[in-house]
Amino acid sequence: MQPLPPRWLDKLATRICAPHLREELLGDLHERYALRHRRTGALKANFFFLREVTALLRPSIMRRKPSPYGSPSAFSSDMLRNYFKIGSRVLVKNSGYSLIHLIGLSIGLWACMMVATVVIDSLSYDRQWSRKDDIYRIVTVNKMGGGLFERHISSPSYLAPALQKMYAEAQSWSSVDSYRPHFKISPGDNDGIETNMLTVDTMANKMLDIKLVAGSLERTSENRWSLLITRSYAGRIFPGQNPIGRIIYEIPTLGSEPAPYEITGLIEDLPYNSHLRTDVIRLKRTKVEPLTNNGIIMFDQSYLLLKPGTDVKAFTRKVNAWYADFTKNKGREQFEFQPLKDIYLHSDFAEGQSVKASIRTIYIFAGVALLVLFIACVNFVNLSTAKAFARVKEAGVRKVLSGSRTQLVMQLLTETLLLFGISVGIAVFAYFFTLRPVENFLGHRLVLTFTSNILMAGGALLMFFFTALVTGLYPAWIISGFKPANTLRGIFTASLGQTGLRKTLVVAQFSISIVVLLATIVVWQQFDLMKNKDLGYDKNNLIGIEQIAWNGKGEAFKSELQRIPGVVRSSLSMWMPTEGAGYMQREVPDPAHAGRRLRIWHIAGDVDLPTTLGLKLVKGRMFSSRFADAFNADSLREKDFVKFEKMQMNQNSLMTASAAKMLRVKQLDVHAKDTQSVPVGVVGDFHNESLYEPLKPTLILAQRAPEYAGMLIRIEPGTEMQVGAGVRKLWKQFFPEKLLRIHNIEEKLEKQYEAESKLHSLFLFFSGLTMFLSALGIFGLVVQAAEQRAKEVGIRKVLGASVAGIVGLISKDFVKLVVIAIVVASPLAWYGLQKWLENYPYRTTIHWWVFAVTGAAALAVTIGTVSFQAIRAATADPVRSLRNE
Amino acid sequence: MRRSDLGEFEEIVLLAVAALAPGAYSVSIAEELENETGQTVSTGAVHAALQRLEQKGYLSSYLGEATQERGGRRKRLFTVTAYGGKILHEARTVRNNLWNRITPAELSKMGLDFSNS
Repeated sequence: MQPLPPRWLDKLATRICAPHLREELLGDLHERYALRHRRTGALKANFFFLREVTALLRPSIMRRKPSPYGSPSAFSSDMLRNYFKIGSRVLVKNSGYSLIHLIGLSIGLWACMMVATVVIDSLSYDRQWSRKDDIYRIVTVNKMGGGLFERHISSPSYLAPALQKMYAEAQSWSSVDSYRPHFKISPGDNDGIETNMLTVDTMANKMLDIKLVAGSLERTSENRWSLLITRSYAGRIFPGQNPIGRIIYEIPTLGSEPAPYEITGLIEDLPYNSHLRTDVIRLKRTKVEPLTNNGIIMFDQSYLLLKPGTDVKAFTRKVNAWYADFTKNKGREQFEFQPLKDIYLHSDFAEGQSVKASIRTIYIFAGVALLVLFIACVNFVNLSTAKAFARVKEAGVRKVLSGSRTQLVMQLLTETLLLFGISVGIAVFAYFFTLRPVENFLGHRLVLTFTSNILMAGGALLMFFFTALVTGLYPAWIISGFKPANTLRGIFTASLGQTGLRKTLVVAQFSISIVVLLATIVVWQQFDLMKNKDLGYDKNNLIGIEQIAWNGKGEAFKSELQRIPGVVRSSLSMWMPTEGAGYMQREVPDPAHAGRRLRIWHIAGDVDLPTTLGLKLVKGRMFSSRFADAFNADSLREKDFVKFEKMQMNQNSLMTASAAKMLRVKQLDVHAKDTQSVPVGVVGDFHNESLYEPLKPTLILAQRAPEYAGMLIRIEPGTEMQVGAGVRKLWKQFFPEKLLRIHNIEEKLEKQYEAESKLHSLFLFFSGLTMFLSALGIFGLVVQAAEQRAKEVGIRKVLGASVAGIVGLISKDFVKLVVIAIVVASPLAWYGLQKWLENYPYRTTIHWWVFAVTGAAALAVTIGTVSFQAIRAATADPVRSLRNE
Repeated sequence: MRRSDLGEFEEIVLLAVAALAPGAYSVSIAEELENETGQTVSTGAVHAALQRLEQKGYLSSYLGEATQERGGRRKRLFTVTAYGGKILHEARTVRNNLWNRITPAELSKMGLDFSNS
C-alpha cells in the first residue's frame, strides 16, 4: 500500500503550486514522502511534509503561468462599453422584472431620502450659532418625592445675573421669551398679522449672531418697545419701504390700549432651523435685582453663555450646592443646564416651547425608512438570485469563450448599477415634487434638502452607490460562480437550489411589514382612545374665548351673550380645558403618607363654570348664585390682601372625587384644613389637561366676575356658526380694539394629540408601502417559481391534476413563509408596542384580534398575489410547456 | 566571466546534477544533498534552484517516466549542458588555484595538515 500524505496538506500544496508545475512538483513531494515514511515512520514524515509544503511558498513556484490566449482586462474601455450594452439589453428583454425592480427600488430610495431629509433637518437645529457649544438654557428641576422629577424651562428671574456675578464661567445671560402677538400695521386693520416674536434682553446680541442691516441694536425709548425686524418680515409688512423708525401696534388681549412698538433695527433673517425661529425681536432691559429668598419668586426663561471649555457637570454641581445652601430647601429645587443643541430634540418636558420635535419620533421615523429600504434591497437580491437560472447558461457560454469571473461579476454589477441609477432618477424626481406636501404634513419648512444642498446630494449618491454594490455583489457572485461544463449541460449544483437565504429574506420582509401593520393599528387605537375618552365633562358643543382683561365688562358681556340664540349657558373661567391648573397649584401634606406632599390643582371661574362644563355631581350641591359661593376676589385683593387671604380660606369650593378621597374629606359644608376652603360638593373626576398626564386631584373655586378670564360657552348642537357670528358681532360692540381668539374646545383638545395623529398617518403610509413592496417581492418570486416548474406542472396536468391542486402546490411554499413571519413578528411587535404604550397613563390594551386581523391581512395579500400567477400557471396548456426543447 | 551568476547553493545543486547523471531530478538531488551535508533540504528549494539554473542555460531538462510513489506523475530529469559544464569547470579552477597558493605552514596553522595523510 502506497503511503499518502494528509489530504488537507496535499490540497494546500495543490493550491500553492502553479498549475503548470503541479505534475513534477507534487510528484516529487509524494515520492519523498513515501521515502521518509519508509525510513522514519508516519509521524516524522507528516511533519517533514508540512515543512515541504511551507517551503513551496516562493514566488517562482506560486506564480501562475499567464494564459497564451489573453482576454481583455475586465476594466478596459471596450469591456465597460460592452457591460452597458449587454446590461441595457438584458433589462429591456426582461422588462417585467425590470419594472418590478424599478418600482420597488424607487419607492425604497424615495422613502429613504425623504426620511433622511427630515432626520438631517432635525439634527441641524441650532448648529449654526457661533457660540452654540457654550449656550445653555437654565432648566428648573423640582424633586417631587418618590423619585419623581418635574422639569420646567423657566427659572428664577434673577438667577442668571446672580450666576454671572458669582462665577467666572458665566460670561453673559439673557432672558428669552417667545409668543405670537398680532401686530396692527395700518389703522384699519382689525385682526392684524400674527407674528413670531422673541423677547430678549439687550445682552442677547452677545450670544446670538444677530446681524444688523440698518438701525441700532440698542433701545431708543423708555416709553415704548424697541423692535428688531428681520428682512423677510420687513418685506411682508412694509414692502419696498424703510421700516426704521416706523411704529406698529400690538393688538391687546389683556391690556386695553394697543401697545406701540418702534422699529429700531433691521436684521438679517435668523436661521429657520433653530428653536428660536422668529420674525421679530423685542428688546428689553432687565432691571437686575438681587436674588432673594422670601418666597415670592418671579420666573422666566433664561439662557446662559458659559466660557468655552467649561465643564458643565462640575458647574451644575457647584451652582446647585450654592443654591441649596442659599435657599435652605434641601435641594428640592435644582437646576440643569440644557445645551442649546439639545433644545430642539430633547424638550418633551418643555411646555410653552412651540418649536420642538421629539427624538423618539425621529428614531421611529428613521427606523421604518431604513426597513423600507431593506425590504426593497431584499426584493432585489431575491429576484436576482431566483432569476439566476436564466443567467447561468449565459454565464457558462461567456466562461467557455474565455470570459473571466471578474468580467462576469462586473457585467452583473453593471446591470444592478443601471437599475439603481434609473431608480435613483425616479426617486429624486418624486422627491422633488413631494417635498412640499411633506413640509405641509410636518408643519414646518425643511431647510436642508437633497435638492438644495450639494454636499448632501453628493453624500446620498455615494450612499446609493454603495448600497447598489452591496446589494448587487451577492447575486453576481452566485451567478458567476458556476462551472460552465455543468450549467451548459443543464446540471445545477446544490448552491442554486439553496433557497434558504431567499426564504429567510422573505420571512424577514414579511415580518417587518407585519410589525409595521400592527403598529399602525395600535397607534390608531391609542389615538382613538385619547380622542374619544370620556373626560368627565361634555367636550362637545363647547366654545372657548381665550383669556383677556374684561375691563369690568365681563358680566355685561355674559348677559348679552345669553341672548344669542343657540347659547345655553356661559361662564367666565380662569381655566380652559387642556390648561391644567388654571388658577393655582398648592402643595399640602399627604394624609396617607407622613412627610410626603400632595399637589392639588385649583381652577376658578364664576358660579356657572361647573354646570357649563357639564360636570357630574356626586355628593352635596353645585355652585349656585343663591348661595354666597362666589366672592369678589379682584376688588378684595386690591383693597386688603390680608382680608382677602382670610376670606379665601373660608371660601366655598367644589372638589373632584379623587381629591376628596386623597385629602380624606368626609364632611361637606365645614372648613377642611387641607383644602383651605369649605367644600360644598363633590363632582366626578375630570381631566383638566391632556391625557399624557394622569388624572389630577382638583378643587374648583368661584369668583364673582373675574377680571382676567376666558369664557366657556355651552351651545345647542349645530349652532356653532350662528353663535360664532353672534359673538363676533357682540365683541365689536364691547371690545373693538381687542383681539378675539375664539375656538372650538373639541378641536383644541384634539390638537394636543397631533403627535399621535401624525405618527398614525405616518405608520399608515409606511405599512401600505412595506406591504406593497413585500407583495411585489413575493410576486416576482412566484412568477419565477411558476416558470421554473412549468414542466412539472405540465406533467402533473397530463396525469390528471386539478387546477386547484396545482395552485395549492405553488402557493403552499409562500403561505408557509408568511405564516412563519406572522409567528416571528407578533411577539416582537407586541413587546415594542407595549414599551411604547408605557409612556401613556391612559393606554389602549393590545387585543388578540389585532394580531388575528393583521395575520389575516398579510395572508390575504400573499394569497392574492400568489394565486394570481399560480392560476395562470395552472390553467396554461401543458402541451406548450412540454413541447419545447 | 560573471561569477556572481552562480550562488553557492546553485553550485552544489549543479554539481549534484552532474554527479547523479543521468538520473538527476529534485528528489534524488535533495536526498543526495541531505546525505552529504547532514542537513534537511526541502524539495521546493532544490526545485527553485533547478528552475533558475535552467533559465540561465546551465541545465536542460526533459520529462521522464511516471512511477507509483509519485501518484502516476512524471518526473523532470535534468542534465548539465556544455555551458553549465564550462561554468563548473571555471568555478573549480578558481578554487584549485586558490587552494594551491596556501603555504603548508599556513595550512598547519589552520589545523589542516595534508602532508601526513
